[in-house]
Amino acid sequence: MKHLLTLILVFVFAAPAWARNIDLSTVPTRDTVQLTIYNAEDITLVRETRIVTFKKGVNPLQFSWANTLIDPTSVELRFLTRPDELTVLDTTYPHDKPQMLYWNVASEFSGEARVEITYFTSGITWSADYTGITDADEKAMRLEGFVTVTNNSGEDYEDAQVRLVVGTINLVEKIEQLARRGLIPAPAAGAMLGGRLDRSMRQRAMKGMVMEAEGMALDMSAPMQAKQIIKEGLSEYFIFTIEGKETVPNQWSKRMRSFDAADVPVKVQYRYRINEYGNQLVRMFLLTNDDEAGLGQSPLPDGVVRLFRANDTGALSYLTQQPIKYIPVGDKIELNLGHDPNVVFELVDLRVFRDNIWGSINAKLRRRFDEPGVRIEDRGRVQGWDQHTVFAQRIRNYTAKPIDLEIRRSFGGDATYISQTPATRHDYQTVQYIARVEPGQTRDVTYELILRQGSNQKQNRVEIQSAKPAAVPWLD
Amino acid sequence: MKRLSLLSLLAVLAVSGVPTVSDARVKLITLPVRERVEIQLDHASATLVEEERVVPLVAGTNQVDFSWANTNIDPGTIVFRVVGYEGDIAGKAPAVNVLSVSYPPGENALVWDVSSTHSGPVRVRISYLLGGLDKSYNYRAVTEHDESTLALSRYIRVKNFANEQYDDTQIHAGLGDKFSKPIGINETKEMLVERIARVPITKTYTCDPAQFGYTDQAQKKLRVPMHYVLTNNSANGLGGEAMPYGKVRIFQKDSTGTTAFIGEDWGAFTPIDDRMRLYLGVAQDVVVKRTIERRDRTKVGGNLSHYDVVVKYEIENFKDKPVVLNVAELIDQVRNEAGFGSGHSAEWVIGDQTTFTGKPDAEESSQHRIVFHADLPARKGDKAKKIVHKLHLVFRNQF
Repeated sequence: MKHLLTLILVFVFAAPAWARNIDLSTVPTRDTVQLTIYNAEDITLVRETRIVTFKKGVNPLQFSWANTLIDPTSVELRFLTRPDELTVLDTTYPHDKPQMLYWNVASEFSGEARVEITYFTSGITWSADYTGITDADEKAMRLEGFVTVTNNSGEDYEDAQVRLVVGTINLVEKIEQLARRGLIPAPAAGAMLGGRLDRSMRQRAMKGMVMEAEGMALDMSAPMQAKQIIKEGLSEYFIFTIEGKETVPNQWSKRMRSFDAADVPVKVQYRYRINEYGNQLVRMFLLTNDDEAGLGQSPLPDGVVRLFRANDTGALSYLTQQPIKYIPVGDKIELNLGHDPNVVFELVDLRVFRDNIWGSINAKLRRRFDEPGVRIEDRGRVQGWDQHTVFAQRIRNYTAKPIDLEIRRSFGGDATYISQTPATRHDYQTVQYIARVEPGQTRDVTYELILRQGSNQKQNRVEIQSAKPAAVPWLD
Repeated sequence: MKRLSLLSLLAVLAVSGVPTVSDARVKLITLPVRERVEIQLDHASATLVEEERVVPLVAGTNQVDFSWANTNIDPGTIVFRVVGYEGDIAGKAPAVNVLSVSYPPGENALVWDVSSTHSGPVRVRISYLLGGLDKSYNYRAVTEHDESTLALSRYIRVKNFANEQYDDTQIHAGLGDKFSKPIGINETKEMLVERIARVPITKTYTCDPAQFGYTDQAQKKLRVPMHYVLTNNSANGLGGEAMPYGKVRIFQKDSTGTTAFIGEDWGAFTPIDDRMRLYLGVAQDVVVKRTIERRDRTKVGGNLSHYDVVVKYEIENFKDKPVVLNVAELIDQVRNEAGFGSGHSAEWVIGDQTTFTGKPDAEESSQHRIVFHADLPARKGDKAKKIVHKLHLVFRNQF
């Protein structure tokens, strides 16, 4: 058992206590401990309580945290019982003893009191991750969420209540820097306690669970569920509180299930969005974090999603893994499975032609080249024109299922998009349309793009016209 | 199945009501062996291993300890699934839950904390991604003497550099049936996946100066590569699944009953109903001489002009059978050769001096590239008939 944090009640007859050569002290042990761990920053709020016996008068209390990553500026002492009769007179950080402080506490009584010590520590982190297993036809998914707590703080925390905070907080200084810097110049920081721990630590890590099992000894047939994780909103943050108590020894990680949704509906969509997914058509799994999907109890924190498919034989196939960003309740979960070699997606240029060509001499006299009776002399230069390009967005579906595609293409400049396939404007320069392609079929979505060039360019946006694109003489 | 030493699974029996494991001085540990292993190689870049073990659980909580050494397992991908129950509890369907997973420091190991409502053996599957085990494909094709069909054999090659021996392991490569072969450490194993006896092939000849260039630049003689094209469909005895990427080595039966190697190429991933095109080598008996015969400018006004360009092809087929020649041109290359290339896309139409029959190949052609087909008769005796074709392109509104 390794506890590096100690609270010592020092018995003295005259101040200062730390100047004496012979000391007598008692060590009140930890009564409870609560960890509130943030995922956006390396910071954990530790709240521990201890029972301390005071004598009437001034009581020196020593608190030390050797080889841990505690921010000394954050250590606070509060009295949970008889607060009106206990007062912190001062706090002293001795110059020759880093990672230690003394409180002088004035007590109006002789007897016990429960005190609470809070502080920030670095080195305890948590992260979320998810495992999704779709059924064989990829219509539904079992989605499990997990949280993993990792303790590299230098301190063992046993039987701790663990709370995990989802959200982005603002810190002006890193806790680890404050911990290493201390309040007084310190000798070179000693190496954190660490290294390969004895294997018996495993049993200690399991202790909390085993103790709970003992509590259930009377009814073995009752199914023991994984611990519940209670979720609640708090300001801009969300707190996950792990049921019961956990023991996380230093340098260990512990992973617990945060939710298990058995039958989450999955929609498969193919997308082309060059800014988001690069210049390729990607296959997406689309889910929603809501009640209907068996989710929606809380936001989903940032984390890695690992996707598998359960084949007809019961074996798993690995699909992909990818990080996801925080997903609020009700929002979409979009999982990119990448390129599908069974769907060929190519943009074919079919024709280019120009019209509405204007020329000028010395930028003054401006005439259209094809205006009847007009002849542009040799010094004339083309100043503006409309360039028409006819494209075929060719999609070959070699899969055994119909596929739905959503395609976005952006066009810089003064552009008109002409197609008989219904399209909408996603933003001022991006056109979006959808298409369905049956299995074994090839579909061409044909469109014409008019780009006004040179002096013909008046705008910087794309307009959509529902009409037949220009003919392609060599093809039609 | 041999005892596998690198991956181990320990079940620590922790019965409620007895001293906790943290206090125990005497421990009993069972070692569930791997009953079955299945390797999924169906992902392009990752290998998933699924192993099945029968784990004896006691009612209450159990520690199941999984550790590995000298293998490249991604611990984040490890999935623990209960797939069945054995013995007395087979019909009881006990509730088994993974309560938590702990990762000890400095070790390739994890500990599942598993609860069970009943004591008895439980069949579990443990899946994980493993590095160092991968696959590739290759093909061997033997064409008939008349090059109308070929016998196609597809092989899978599995390389095991995962530092783990797999005996009686079921391997599924994503394509084809599962197979069971032992693969030792650092061993590579090649296996025949399928053999199709008579796959029809089309032999094509293509001249495309932009892609294949010239065999004799001074004489303007084009390089004419020969391709085999086969379609991955059921009519050809294929089409059951996509054909994976791999090297194709092609042999041809000769008159003595043996075979000669006639070339190899990388076969692209070919979905069902798509075509695989294999470049074998250069055809020496189809000679194509290409020249720019005409280049005329018609001034519209100012710096705006139209251009007429005629490319002439003088073609001779010295083979004793007729062939079809694909004639391809990159539009911008023609424009540059004619000396009026510009930064603007070419606006072009096919002019009336073009002699190729029919329209350009709709599937192969585009704004940037145009492809025609020309029928070439077989030589008569030792004389080849010279066929002349012209491609007339009218470039409009060039500046």
